[in-house]
Amino acid sequence: MPYEKPLPPVSPLNKPYWDAAKEKRELHLQKCRQCGHTWWPIAPICPNCHVRDYKWEKMSGKGKVNSWVVFHQRYFPGFEKEIPYNVCEIELEEGPRVMTNLVNAKNEEIHMGMPVEVVFEDITEEITLPKFQPIRK
Amino acid sequence: MASSLKDQVAVVGVGHTQYGRRLERSPFDVIAEAIQNALDDAGLRWEDLDGIASNSGSPGSADMDSVPTLLGLKVKGYWQTWSHGRYCGTALTWAALNINAGIVNYVALVHGSGGGRRDRRPQGDGGGGEAAREGGGGHAEAPEYGMTSPGAGTALATRRYFDRFGATSRQLANVAMTIRRHANLNPSALFRDRILSVEDHQTSRFICEPLHLFDYCLVTEGGTCVILTSAERAKNLKKPPVYLMGTQPIPAGRHEFIFGIPGMGIGQMENYEYRPTVDDHPVYRMAGVKHEDIDGLFTYDAFTPLIWFTLERFGFVGPGEAPAFVDDGNIALGGRLPMNTNGGLLSEVHKSGWNHQIEIVRQLRGEAGPRQIKDVEVIQWANAYGDSLIYRR
Repeated sequence: MPYEKPLPPVSPLNKPYWDAAKEKRELHLQKCRQCGHTWWPIAPICPNCHVRDYKWEKMSGKGKVNSWVVFHQRYFPGFEKEIPYNVCEIELEEGPRVMTNLVNAKNEEIHMGMPVEVVFEDITEEITLPKFQPIRK
Repeated sequence: MASSLKDQVAVVGVGHTQYGRRLERSPFDVIAEAIQNALDDAGLRWEDLDGIASNSGSPGSADMDSVPTLLGLKVKGYWQTWSHGRYCGTALTWAALNINAGIVNYVALVHGSGGGRRDRRPQGDGGGGEAAREGGGGHAEAPEYGMTSPGAGTALATRRYFDRFGATSRQLANVAMTIRRHANLNPSALFRDRILSVEDHQTSRFICEPLHLFDYCLVTEGGTCVILTSAERAKNLKKPPVYLMGTQPIPAGRHEFIFGIPGMGIGQMENYEYRPTVDDHPVYRMAGVKHEDIDGLFTYDAFTPLIWFTLERFGFVGPGEAPAFVDDGNIALGGRLPMNTNGGLLSEVHKSGWNHQIEIVRQLRGEAGPRQIKDVEVIQWANAYGDSLIYRR
């Protein structure tokens, strides 16, 4: 069955992020070699000290829910069957906040500060999409 | 040397078409009519216009590359921003700066939406326009996760605001109802005949939870025009000038999120309770006024929470105090700080902020009829995303 949702735009800048998700099933973000800052969204220079000297580093993949919404309106036809679906902003342990869908969870149980971890979903042959799920004790 | 814009430029004409949910008219057509109405209001002729600008050209509205040609204008300067309502004040300031520099004399600021371009909606779309912007754009879009539309960005900020201050959706109903009552007094308002209750608001469907249908503005069509000229030229025209006293542009960076205010902890912002400093709002310094001088406040109320955020961002109330301020009737006509007396984007019409500029002019001329703010001298346009204009009569 063809994948009907929008695909993320892969660019020369963000390709290492998508490669790490697909090949290593790991969440990699940029880390500045000068000041140690880790950031999101993916950027050409360190937004803290403006140098180009960064490396791609593996994140723990753990974080907490910083805010979330539930879509009841259809905007993208590919999401229609999942309405009402959640979109969560996750604050990673390393600091940056990323947008995602929380899976393996009911919308009603999502709450501020909910501990979550990354999981990887192969959505096409080229793209593996990081999502998050609750950390169950 | 720096020279201030204070009192150098004035609004001398305003005009608009009939508004509607769907008009079978092209955006060019409604703009042409709005310009004619604004020219008549000012006592000017088409030949006088030598500048034109819009915050909402293509995509989604009339392409500003075509407007001067189609309408037979011979302008020295034209400009359009990327189609976002929030650039209304930015477009007006572009005109003011060029007039003040002596480059142009009369600038028409126009906005038009109508039939024929509905397939090109740039916002909350199915994958083009807004959603395709690298880095997420202004709305924190992430189409691969179904994250799109300005309302969703606002919903994300609202959830955090609820959590931090214990504010509720029921209190947002008070925002919607206050603005609706203003619309009920405005013959131009699309919702002039519709009464809104707390129950109507609370039982309306969710669009992007926690926001309900009545937390959202209208999606509408029609044209507007606001004409600016120098204070010197303004003296000899038909209507009393409305002077621009101060401006400030839209700030940006990792400390900002356009549907929230600094400190909310959304996007990459820090998490703290924001209290504005004098340096945060140069508009007051340029205008030479203080909060207590402001007789009316207008804001880009695309969504009800933006009214709370504006009150706090500009320091009219402290962090977390806006919901109670609204509950107590302070932003209603007759209250301490009447807001969006036209009915706003929520209940008058969505003309990207231009319907607010038109109402500000009417208020300062004393033309607002049953909505007139008593003894009004100074009105501020200020937004959750941080820009502002201050006008006086």
